[in-house]
Amino acid sequence: MSAAANPPLSRDGAADHRHSVRRLGARGILELAGIYAALVLLLMETIYPLLWVLFGSLKTKQEMLSNIWGPPSSLVFQNYVDAWRIAGMGSRIVSSVFVTGSALFILVAVATPCAYALARLRFPGRGLVLAVAVAAMLVPPQVMAIPLFMVARDLGLINNRLGIAFVYAATSLPLSVFILRSFFVTLPADLEDAARVDGASRLAILIHIMLPLIRPGVALILIFGFIEIWNDFFLAFLLLRDPAVQTIPLGLVSFFQQYDSLWTLYFAALTITTLPVIVVFIAMQRQFIAGLTAGAVKG
Amino acid sequence: MSTRPREAAPSASRFGRFVSGDGATAFVMILPAAILFGLFYLWPFVNGFWLSLHNWDGFSDPSWAGLSNYQRLAHDRIFLAALRNNLIFVVAVVVLKNVLGLGLALLLNRVVLGRTFFRAAAFVPVTMSFVAVGLLWSWIYNPVFGLLNGALDLFGLGGLKQSWLGDADIALYSIIVVDVWKWLGFHAVIYLAGLQTIPAVLYESAKMDGAGPVQRFWHVTLPMMMPIVFINTILGLSGAFVRNFDIVYVLTKGGPNHATEVVLTYMMSKAFQDGAMSYAAAIGYVLFLIVGLASVGLLALMRRQRLEV
Repeated sequence: MSAAANPPLSRDGAADHRHSVRRLGARGILELAGIYAALVLLLMETIYPLLWVLFGSLKTKQEMLSNIWGPPSSLVFQNYVDAWRIAGMGSRIVSSVFVTGSALFILVAVATPCAYALARLRFPGRGLVLAVAVAAMLVPPQVMAIPLFMVARDLGLINNRLGIAFVYAATSLPLSVFILRSFFVTLPADLEDAARVDGASRLAILIHIMLPLIRPGVALILIFGFIEIWNDFFLAFLLLRDPAVQTIPLGLVSFFQQYDSLWTLYFAALTITTLPVIVVFIAMQRQFIAGLTAGAVKG
Repeated sequence: MSTRPREAAPSASRFGRFVSGDGATAFVMILPAAILFGLFYLWPFVNGFWLSLHNWDGFSDPSWAGLSNYQRLAHDRIFLAALRNNLIFVVAVVVLKNVLGLGLALLLNRVVLGRTFFRAAAFVPVTMSFVAVGLLWSWIYNPVFGLLNGALDLFGLGGLKQSWLGDADIALYSIIVVDVWKWLGFHAVIYLAGLQTIPAVLYESAKMDGAGPVQRFWHVTLPMMMPIVFINTILGLSGAFVRNFDIVYVLTKGGPNHATEVVLTYMMSKAFQDGAMSYAAAIGYVLFLIVGLASVGLLALMRRQRLEV
C-alpha cells in the first residue's frame, strides 16, 4: 500500500532500460540525449528561480541591479539579520510552529479513533458517517469562509492561535479519516481478535496494536497536513487579523506590501521561509512520493 | 473506555444491544470527530445558507431577504466577470497540468540515471506556499528588472516584453502559468507512478504489430492511463476552483480593473471591504454549487467509464 509499492517498480524500469541500452543505436543515443536536454531545461525552469532568490538574498542592493542573473560576488548575511528583524520572523515562526503543531496533534487524536471505528466496528449509522465524510470532501472549506468567520467570531476564536488550529484540524478531517480508514481496513483481524480474547479494551487495542501498524498512514496525513497548514494563507488571513499572532505567510505578505523596495531583504525572508520545507521534503522524499502515489495508483 | 459488562450482553432491548455491542464504543470514538466536524464544517455550511437568505452586515439585526442576494448576483457584472475568469482559470489549469504533467512523466519514465533527482526537482515547487510562489513570480514578472523580460532581452526577443501582471489582457494568463508551474511536479509524479504499472508486454506486442512510438502512445499508453487522467483531473479540478485566492491576492489583488478577479477574491472583498456579509455568503454558496456539480459530474462520468477511484 505505501512505502513498499515503490522499489519493485523502479527495478522493472531498470531492467527495461538495460534491455534497451543494448540495442541503442546512434539514433537511440541521440534520442536519450534529447530527453536529458529537455529534462535539464525543465530543471532550470523550476530550480533557477529558487536559486535566483537565494543569490539575491546574499547580494547588496546595488549588486542586485548590476548583477541580476549570477551568483553574488560577496555574501551579505546581514540581509538575513535585517530581514529577520524587520519582518518579525521570530514571532511569526513561533506562531506557525504552534498553530501547525497543535492542528496536527488535534487532527491525529480525533481522526484516528473515528477511522478505526469506521473500519473495524459494526454499529448502526456507520454507512451514514462514511457518506458524510465523503460528501464533505466535495465541500471545500474556502466556500464557507464567511460563515466560518461568523462561527469563529461567535466562539471568540478570532486572533486565537489554538482556535485556528481547531479549524485547520476540522478542514483536514474528512480526507484524513478516509485515508486512515483505508489503512485500518487492510490490517488482518486475527491480531485484534487475539487481544480481545485476552480482555483488552478497544481503546487499548487501538493504541497499542493498531496504531503502530498504521504508522505509514499517520505519516501520510502528517506530511500533507504539514504542507497544507504551514503554507496556508487563506484561513489565516480570515481568522488571524492581529499582527501579533500572525503566521509566516501573512507576515511575508505584509512585509512585502510595506517595504517593497527592500529587495534583498525580501529575498532573504523568502529563503528563510521556504528553505526549511524544501529541506524536509528532500530528506523525506521517498516516503513522500510513495505516500502520494499509493493513494492515487492502485497498481 | 469501553466498560462493557459481559452480563449485559444478552440484553433483549435495542438499546441494550447497542450499548453492549460495538455501538457504544463506536459512539465514543466518533464523538470527538463529530463535534469538530459539526462546529467547523456543518454549522458554517448550514449557517452560510441561512446567512445568504438574509441581509446582514454582521453587526446589526439581520433581516429576511429571500433569494434577493442570489438575484442580485445574476446581474452583478463584476461577479459574472469573476466567474468567467474563474472558469477560464479552471479549464486552462486542468488541461495544462494534465498535458504537461503527462509529458514530463513520459520523459522521466525514459531515463533511469537521475530519475529520482529530476523527479524531486520537479516536485519542489509543490512544497512551497502559494504566498512564496506568488511573491517569487511577482519578481519574475517585474517589468523593469524581472527575470522574464530580462530573459527575453537576452535571447533578442525584447519585442515580446510585457507588463505581465499590469496588462488586463494577459494578467489572468500570467497567473495561470504560475499555478501550473507550482503544481506540475505533483501531477507528473502521479502520472509517472501510473506509467510504471503498464506491463511491458503490451508495448512489446504493439511493436511486433508494427506500431511506431506515436501509435504506441495513443493505443497503449493513453488507454491504460485513463484512470490516472481522471484522478489527476479531479485533483486539479477541485483545487483550481478554490485554491486561487492566495496567488491572485499576492500577484494582482484581482486587478487591473477586475481583469484577474476570481470568485473567492470578490467574495472576500465584498465581505471585508464592503461589509456585505450575507451577499458574500451567497457568493460562497454559488461557488459551492458549481464545484459540487463539477465534481459529481466528473465522478458520474468516471463511473460510466467503469473506472474505479
